[in-house]
Amino acid sequence: MKVTKFFELAKASGIEACEVVVRRSTHIDMNVYHAEVENYSIADSRSIYARGIVNGKMGFAASEKDDAKTPEYLVKQIITSATNSESDDIAIIFKGSEKYKKRSTFNKAVGLLSEEEKLNNLFLLEKKLLAYDPRITEVEAASYSESVNELEMFNSYGLKLKEKDNYFYYYTSVVVKQDQEVKTGYKIAIFNDPKAVNIDQLVKETAEDGLSKLGGKPCKSGKYPTLMNQKVTASLLAAYLSSASAEKVQKRSSLFIDKLGQKVASSKITVLDAPLNKTIFYSYFDDEGVAKFNKSVIDKGILKTYFHNLSTAAKAGVAPTANGSNNGGKIGISIGNIVLKPGKKSVDEIIKDVREGFYLTEVQGLHSGLNPTSGDFSLQASGFMIRDGKFAEPVNLVTIAGNLQKLFLEVKAVANDSELQLSSYTTPSVLVKKLAVSGN
Amino acid sequence: MISNKVAIQVLNTALATGGDFAEIFLEETYSNNLEVDSGKTQPPSSGVSYGAGIRILKKLQSVYGYTNDLSLKGLVKLAQQLSASFNGKQEIVVDKIEKVKIKNKHKIRKALSSVETSEKIALLKKGDAIMRDYDKRIVRTIAVLIMNNRNIEIFNSDGKHFVDSQERVRFVLQAIAMQPGAFETGFTGPGAHSGFDFVEGLDIENEAKEVADLAIRKLSAKDCPSGVMPVVIGNGFGGVIFHEACGHPLEASAVSKGLSPFANKIGQKVAHEAVTAIDDGTIENGWGSNNIDDEGVPTYRNVLIKDGILQDYLIDRFNGRRMNRESNGAGRRQSYKYETTSRMSNTYIAAGPYTPEEEIKSVKLGLYAKKLGGGSVNPTTGDFNFAADEAYIIRDGKIAELVKGATLIGNGAEILMKIDMVANDLERAQGMCGAASGSIPVDVGQPTLRVSEITVGGQGGKLQ
Repeated sequence: MKVTKFFELAKASGIEACEVVVRRSTHIDMNVYHAEVENYSIADSRSIYARGIVNGKMGFAASEKDDAKTPEYLVKQIITSATNSESDDIAIIFKGSEKYKKRSTFNKAVGLLSEEEKLNNLFLLEKKLLAYDPRITEVEAASYSESVNELEMFNSYGLKLKEKDNYFYYYTSVVVKQDQEVKTGYKIAIFNDPKAVNIDQLVKETAEDGLSKLGGKPCKSGKYPTLMNQKVTASLLAAYLSSASAEKVQKRSSLFIDKLGQKVASSKITVLDAPLNKTIFYSYFDDEGVAKFNKSVIDKGILKTYFHNLSTAAKAGVAPTANGSNNGGKIGISIGNIVLKPGKKSVDEIIKDVREGFYLTEVQGLHSGLNPTSGDFSLQASGFMIRDGKFAEPVNLVTIAGNLQKLFLEVKAVANDSELQLSSYTTPSVLVKKLAVSGN
Repeated sequence: MISNKVAIQVLNTALATGGDFAEIFLEETYSNNLEVDSGKTQPPSSGVSYGAGIRILKKLQSVYGYTNDLSLKGLVKLAQQLSASFNGKQEIVVDKIEKVKIKNKHKIRKALSSVETSEKIALLKKGDAIMRDYDKRIVRTIAVLIMNNRNIEIFNSDGKHFVDSQERVRFVLQAIAMQPGAFETGFTGPGAHSGFDFVEGLDIENEAKEVADLAIRKLSAKDCPSGVMPVVIGNGFGGVIFHEACGHPLEASAVSKGLSPFANKIGQKVAHEAVTAIDDGTIENGWGSNNIDDEGVPTYRNVLIKDGILQDYLIDRFNGRRMNRESNGAGRRQSYKYETTSRMSNTYIAAGPYTPEEEIKSVKLGLYAKKLGGGSVNPTTGDFNFAADEAYIIRDGKIAELVKGATLIGNGAEILMKIDMVANDLERAQGMCGAASGSIPVDVGQPTLRVSEITVGGQGGKLQ
C-alpha cells in the first residue's frame, strides 16, 4: 500500500492525525520423524495496522488484504471506530522521541545456512535422542523454526521508524517409558547465532528432562520451602507484573492500585525493564513510536513505576515508559524484556539448609488456574523433593496454591543462575519460604 | 477468490515433483469486535484475514506454505518453492475442477452485517449496566460482541472445489468485584455459528445478573480445601474435563504415532460404562459446527466412546494416512496460516439416567464444581488440569458453602474410569481451543456427573 495515498485520503476524510504500521514476517519450519522429513513449511505474510484521530477520538483498523481499495477500507473503518468510541483514553499520534538507541540485532548468518545443514541437525538430534537411553522410546518432535520479522511505522507527522530481527529455535520432545509409566521431556532453545547451537547439549537437556520425571508421584500434602526454577519464576513473575499495567490500575482492576513507592516484594527482589539489553528480544521503540529505555520497576522490593503507554501516562501526568503495544490496531500495554536481578549464591548453596522442601520445575494451567487480578493461584505442578539440602525423588500431579503477592513478599533467596526465557524474561531460580503443595 | 484455471495451474505446479496430493486453501475473514468497558463504548476494532495456504503431501511427508499474494504469480511461486522439497516426476495431473455442492445446515436468519452498530452497542450497554448496577462492589464491567465472517475456498488435486461461508457470533460478559483484600470475577460467553438472531435470543438480563452475582458472592467465599475427594461436576462447561482428559488424546495427531494412551484401543474398555462420548460437527448452528472441515470433508457425528468402549478417533487427512483411515471430518485450522490437523468440534458426554440431585445426595463430603473454567492437557501422558469457576462443598448430600480457587487435576485414562454417575441434564457451552493448528471455536458439554475421586487443589487446607 502506498502510505502517502492513505495519508492523503485520511486527511481529505477529516482524520486529524494518523499512523500506519506494516508488519511483515517470513517463517521456515521443519520437522523430522523416523529419519524422514515429516513437515516442511514456508510462510510469507504481512499485516497493515492503521490508526487515526477523528474529533479527538482514536479509531483503528487492520487488514492483511492489500489492494487498490485498501486505503479506502482502512479510512472507512477508522472513522467508524472513532465515531462510535466513548473511550476516555487520550488520543495521541506521537511526534517522536528526541533520541532513539537503535542498533541492529539482525544476523545474516541465519539465512545463509543451507536447508541441508538444518535438516542434518534434526536427523542428528533424533538419532542421538533415541540412542541416549533405552527408556527413550519415541522422539515426538525434532523441529526447527526460523523467523524474520520486519516492522515499519509511518505517521502523518513525518515519523518513520523501522526494525528488523531474526531468530531460530529448535524444539525437541521425547517419550520415555518404564514399565507402564509414560512421561515426556522437552526443550525449546532459541538463538540468532548458528554458532551457538550445541546439539549434544540439546540432546542431554531434552532426554534428562524426560528421564528425571520417571517414578514421579504425588508427594505428601504440606507447606514446603519451595525453590522455583528459572522458567517457573518467569511465569509467575509475568503474572504478578501484569498488575503493574497502568491501564489495569486506572481501571481499578489491579493488585497494584496505590502501590507506587510501596513494598510489593521481598527486599531480595529487584526487577528491571530492560528492552535495550542485547538479547534476541532487543527492541528500541514501542508500538506508538516511543523510544524504549531501561529502567527499574521494583527496587529491593519497592514498586518504582507502572508500565505506561501514551494515554495512561498522559492521564497520570507522567512520562510514558514505552510499553505501548498494538493489538490488532488497538493500543494496550505489553510487558517484556524483564530482568530479575540474580543473587550471588548458587542453587546448591541456597538449598543446602532446606531439610524438606519442594523443587518446582513445571506449572500447568496458568491461563485458567490463576486470577491475575487477585493474584490467587491454584495450579497443576511437578518437580522434585528436596531432602537434606539435596534434590531427591520426582513429584508429579500435585497442585500448588497461594497468592502471588504473598509469594513474592516471602522470597528468601535469589540464585545466581539467570537464564533467558522464551517469554523474553531473564530470571534466576528463587527460593520462597513456604508454598502449599497438595498431593496425597 | 481465484479461477479454476489459476487453481489448475497452481495445483499442477505443486504436483510437478511427484507429490501425491495437493491442496489450495483460500480464506477471506472479516472480524469485528464491539466492546463496552464500564459503561463506555470502546473504539470498535476490525480486521481482515486474507491469504492462501498450499499443501503438498507425498506418502507420510507434508509440505505447507502460505502467502497473502493471491495473484497467479504469487501462488505459482509458492507452489514452486514447496514442490522443490521433492525430486520425483509428476504422477498426478489435474485437468479439471468440479465444484462440490454443499448443503448449508447453519442458516443465518439475520446476518451480522444487516444490524446497525448502534443497535449492537445498545445490547452491550444493557448487559454492562445490569452488571454495574447490581452491587457497588462491582468495580469494572466488560461486555464484548465478537463477530466473524469466514469465507473459505478449497481446491484439491482430486479435482474438487469447495466453497463455504461461516458466520459466528459470541456475546461475552465479565464483571470484576472488589472489596479490601479480594478481587473476584464472573464470566459468561455464549456463542454460535449463527447470525445476530442468536444474540437476540439470549436472556441478557439474566446472564448479566448471574455474572455479577457470582463475582460478588465469591468475594466472601472461603478458599477451596485441597486433597483427593469425590466431585460432582456441573453440566455445560463442565465438559471441559472430557475435552482435556480424553478429547485431545483421541486426536489422530497423537493417536497415529502411537503417542496417545488411547492408541490401538478401539473396542476396549477405556471408561466407566456410564460414559458415552460424542464429537458432533453437524449440530445446527453449533459454535463448533461446520458444513465441511478445512479440508473439504463433510463434518460428522462421531461416537468416540459408547458405554465405556472406545469406538473411534478424530481423524484428518494427513494423520489418517499413518492409520490407514479416511478423514472423518476433523481437519480444522484457525486460518490459512496453519496447516490442518485433527481437532474437536462440539464434544460432549451423552445424558445418563440420574438426576443432578441424586448425584449430590450420594456424596457425604466432597466438592460440587458447578462451573468450570479452562484447562490444559499433555496428550501423551494424559495429565490434565482445569480450574473451577464456581464450586461448593457438599456435606451430607447437600450443597453447602461456596469456595473459590479450586483446581482439579488428574490423568485422563484414570479419570474416565471414575466417572460413575451421569445425569440427564446435558448442556453444551462455548470455548476456544488452542493446539497445533491454532485457536478454533469448539463446544464442550456434558450432563452433571460424578467422579468418584479426583485431586482438588486450593489454598484452604484439608477438607473437613
